[in-house]
Amino acid sequence: MAFKLHGAKMSTYTRIVAVIAKERNVPYEFIAVDFKAAEHKQPPHLQHHPYGQVPYISQDDGFELYESRAIARYLATIGSGTQLIPTEPKAYAKFEQAASVEYAQFDPIASGIAWEKIIKPHFGKVTDEKRVEELVALLEIKLDGHEAILGKQKYLAGDEITLADLFHLPNGNIVFERLEYGFLDKRPNLQRWWKDISSRPSWQAVKDGA
Amino acid sequence: MAFKLHGSTGSTCTRRVALIAKERNIPYEFIPVNMSVAEHKQPPHLQHQPFGQVPFIVQEDGFELFESRAIGRYLTTFGSGPQLIPTEPKAYAKFEQAAGIEYAQFDPIAAGITVEKIFKPRYGQATNEKHLEGLIAQFESKLNGYEAILGKQKYLAGDEVTLADLYHLPYGKWVFVDLGLGDLDKRPNLKRWWNDISSRPSWQAVKDGV
Repeated sequence: MAFKLHGAKMSTYTRIVAVIAKERNVPYEFIAVDFKAAEHKQPPHLQHHPYGQVPYISQDDGFELYESRAIARYLATIGSGTQLIPTEPKAYAKFEQAASVEYAQFDPIASGIAWEKIIKPHFGKVTDEKRVEELVALLEIKLDGHEAILGKQKYLAGDEITLADLFHLPNGNIVFERLEYGFLDKRPNLQRWWKDISSRPSWQAVKDGA
Repeated sequence: MAFKLHGSTGSTCTRRVALIAKERNIPYEFIPVNMSVAEHKQPPHLQHQPFGQVPFIVQEDGFELFESRAIGRYLTTFGSGPQLIPTEPKAYAKFEQAAGIEYAQFDPIAAGITVEKIFKPRYGQATNEKHLEGLIAQFESKLNGYEAILGKQKYLAGDEVTLADLYHLPYGKWVFVDLGLGDLDKRPNLKRWWNDISSRPSWQAVKDGV
């Protein structure tokens, strides 16, 4: 059941796997991939992750998986704790709808902002401020959608928390907390929801490092 | 079982749903949303799709769903025809890995390229040339990952076609066919896979409009 988590401590997507492992009480051994030495782009790593990224996981029986959300979905089926994917067919369809809201509506934009404002400067590259402006304007529109949904129900898929909510945590931490765009200010439902999911012990345990 | 498909005949995401409906032999009634008068941004539409987009579906019992990939997944749970999502747990995990490749690796880049090269000019907006350059470079890099995976197995999740492969079709047509990107002649595995999935009768039926 336990697994090796190959990644980077502060990587958005490594921490997604870590937070779900904590939710599901699945123990893991963290193995740091050496980004400075571009280990993630070398052939040995590429055998495990053909896109040269992190994270990937490996289990004792040799089973391996990459793509943080795929890993998280797998972890939701093992371990114990909160059920993070509904089983009833129509509730499950609404979960997939919410999961798609995260990966298709929120993440491309939020991760784009994180890339320009946090990651690029960290590596001495120049932020494309025009692109950031565009992305922030787009995110405002998307978050109006979240605000509408969360005005009718507690979480994105219904009244129970699911993976779809939790997948927002790492990039949400950047765009809602670290950067000061005020996205939560005029959106009380979004703010309520964000406070709820970001105060969970599983996130508190990994937000500063997987 | 049948459903109303609210969308736009040329929309990538509307065609994604129609494609899966064809695969699963599920009849649908197409209801055009008038995007030229911004119907999709008005309150009545926003009740059904809070992000102001298409498509969304409605069934006779009142059940509604938006997000094309969620709808596609829902459509595989009824109708008839190829399974499109494996049930065996580890094969299912590999499917989610492949699904992640499509929505997290391929789509943001392919959609981004299409927006910059096709949609922005069409609506009189300025292409962000620097951003486009970056996207095309990223695209080349991602396709090397595809080439590696597809050299070991027939499809992205294994040797059976799944939703993960088919979901590439709408934006794949834009980038590989209409824009001629991807250097398919130098990527024989990718070319084989693209020819395979794009020749399916379900795609032929909807590729030029639902």
